[in-house]
Amino acid sequence: MREITLSQAVNEALAEEMRRDPTTFIIGEDVAEAGTPFKVLSGLVEEFGTSRVIDTPISEPGFVGIGVGAALTGARPIVDLMFGDFIYLVMDQLCNQAAKQHYMSGGKLSVPMVLRTNLGATRRSGAQHSQSLQALVAHIPGIKVALPSSAYEAKGLMKTAIRDNNPVVIIEDKLMYQDKAPVPEEEYLIPFGEANIKREGSDITLIGTSSMVQVAEAAAKILEAEGISAEVIDPRTIVPLDEDTLLKSVRKTSRAIVIDEGHQNYGITGEIASRLNEKAFYYLDAPVLRMGAMDVPVPFSPVLEDLTVPTPERVAENARRLCAGEMIHAA
Amino acid sequence: MPLDVIMPALGMAQDSGVILAWHKSPGDPVAEGDALFEVETDKAAMEVEAQGSGFLTDVMAKAGDEVPVGQVLARISDTPEDTGTKTEASPDASGEADTQADQAMPEGEPVIMPALGMAQDAGQIVAWRKSPGDAVTASDVLFEVETDKSIMEVEAGHDGFVAALLAEAGEEAPVGDVIAIISSEKPEAPIQRSLKDRGTATPAEAAPAREPAPAKESPSKTSESRPTKQAVPAMGGRILASPKARRLALERGLDLTRLADHGYPQPYHVKDLEVLERLPTEAAPQLSTAAPARYLSAHVETNGFDDFAAWAASEAGLPDAGSLLAAFAGSSLERAHVTVALEAFGKTRMFAVHGRWLSDVAEADPEARPDLRLRDLRFGRLIEVQAGPEDTPVLSVMASGAGLKLTLECAAEQLDASAAITLLSNFAGRMEQPLRHLL
Repeated sequence: MREITLSQAVNEALAEEMRRDPTTFIIGEDVAEAGTPFKVLSGLVEEFGTSRVIDTPISEPGFVGIGVGAALTGARPIVDLMFGDFIYLVMDQLCNQAAKQHYMSGGKLSVPMVLRTNLGATRRSGAQHSQSLQALVAHIPGIKVALPSSAYEAKGLMKTAIRDNNPVVIIEDKLMYQDKAPVPEEEYLIPFGEANIKREGSDITLIGTSSMVQVAEAAAKILEAEGISAEVIDPRTIVPLDEDTLLKSVRKTSRAIVIDEGHQNYGITGEIASRLNEKAFYYLDAPVLRMGAMDVPVPFSPVLEDLTVPTPERVAENARRLCAGEMIHAA
Repeated sequence: MPLDVIMPALGMAQDSGVILAWHKSPGDPVAEGDALFEVETDKAAMEVEAQGSGFLTDVMAKAGDEVPVGQVLARISDTPEDTGTKTEASPDASGEADTQADQAMPEGEPVIMPALGMAQDAGQIVAWRKSPGDAVTASDVLFEVETDKSIMEVEAGHDGFVAALLAEAGEEAPVGDVIAIISSEKPEAPIQRSLKDRGTATPAEAAPAREPAPAKESPSKTSESRPTKQAVPAMGGRILASPKARRLALERGLDLTRLADHGYPQPYHVKDLEVLERLPTEAAPQLSTAAPARYLSAHVETNGFDDFAAWAASEAGLPDAGSLLAAFAGSSLERAHVTVALEAFGKTRMFAVHGRWLSDVAEADPEARPDLRLRDLRFGRLIEVQAGPEDTPVLSVMASGAGLKLTLECAAEQLDASAAITLLSNFAGRMEQPLRHLL
């Protein structure tokens, strides 16, 4: 199968859906001629013109509001937020307006809008351009959240997101745009709420989101050499979350580590770990561990920045301790 | 020492900036924090402050010039006339370029692989347009670089001579790496090298070193030397066990407290259930309880063993405290050859003791039949063990305040009373003052 970059996969998904559905359009900063700072949208304005690939001023709450309004009146906007960190600016439009219209109108209105943005540290971009804020939006009922872990997921999830009748936030890892993966030429969609078992194992389950799937897979390789068999699972969407697949795996292995690049406190890892504790408690032979980003603003110093995110070595070390029956966090 | 003034990176997607105006003229005194010049990026016009105090000298770019990020624009010098010796503060434009090039490197302005796009971390040199020794002006195209998007021409940025080309056409250099040096004087022996010749490790070369080092540890070592389970105090007599171990114990009718009674450290996990299932049941002991049993106990005021073990590990090259313990117990029995089974942390190790020198002890066949069983319970919370005789005499060691409590249990036929007293007395003496072992 051909291999393309995550950036190309997103571009293809958008182009295919825009050809299929004339009500779709892209709006955001630097989306047209510039094709975004990461060049993900390069070429789209040439094909679809400036009426469907719309550059805006620096005005995040404004253009997300335009997206919500357009979605309410029959269009399918794909709103481009240059950095995931700017989610703070658009919280009202996203969480008070987009997320709640369907519910508050008794089902008469819907907001088929996609907000595509990014996450990820270690790009040396400083604390205001390196955050992974999926927990903020996943917390709000009415918004679906997809976290693609490779080019394959990026394309299939994006197409599903565009066709969804409710607001979807899809967050790509900005360090993965140039990562290649096999992507079929023919059309495919990845349904929401279906986790992907990346690797089967019997001793411990490593649940990773976005680029942390790669970290989990690398950790599994380290552990394999030591005789520990790790299962790696990518939930692909955290809202909705495929609990069944996660629970089935943890009931089998009795141990789990949940890895996400958002801050660990009150984060995605805590939510998933808590569900496993509630629903697989009597199958657990060790506490479920959370591994998120360190609870500090992302440092600008490269040396410090690299310390704040989970790495394969640190995941493997924790897995080793859990499998050895060592007491972690003893009172 | 002169301070370089460089074009700052003011935006995420910025490769260069246009100088709108200088707020200081050459020779002007400058204080740290003074607005030096104004720069326009794709987003906005901004004032750039001086990073140090002195006099503005060596202004190399004028208003209207577009200057690549990181390039030196001027210097702040100690005197108005200073023309800044260029080598002293070699401008480290990328912040991480290997300015520690070896001694043979000519003096001059470094040229780095520029960042031409957001998603770029390296660029491939398509061709050099100048050869070593060639004269160049700042606006001459020095090389062509291919990124994932396009091929671009890159200007020299400095007037002078090509003193060194440090990468060959076709090679890919990480963004920020120094790939050429431009000198002000015509170089006598211009250098041409490949990236591969470089001695100093660049970030790109160093990267593979981050590969999983822990994997190098052998699997057996990992399981042997893993931090041994600490015997965690069971609060209020509660047994610490995983939810799954508890559920399985319940389903199989097993009592986890028996593991604790036998000195196995908590918390318990599923694999400890196997040990539990193998424990002899109290209801049907192998040896008749009717047989007369001996139970002796000794108290040692001060535990001399830990210090001795630490000394042996650091000074005598004997890091295995378990083997020392086995040697002490074995030689206390006063026989030529003694096999000791040492039970610690849920594991049993077998030692053959055949003399009183510390080196006269060796790991023995785990299947061997022991003459003596030694239970190391020092890290548990047990204060008293009276479990009845087993197939061999059993010595137990427990912590007791700053000292130790030692017990010996055996069937009457295994040791006569005087041998039992001798064994426990010898062992207690060694644990209190290990040097006795050597006497």
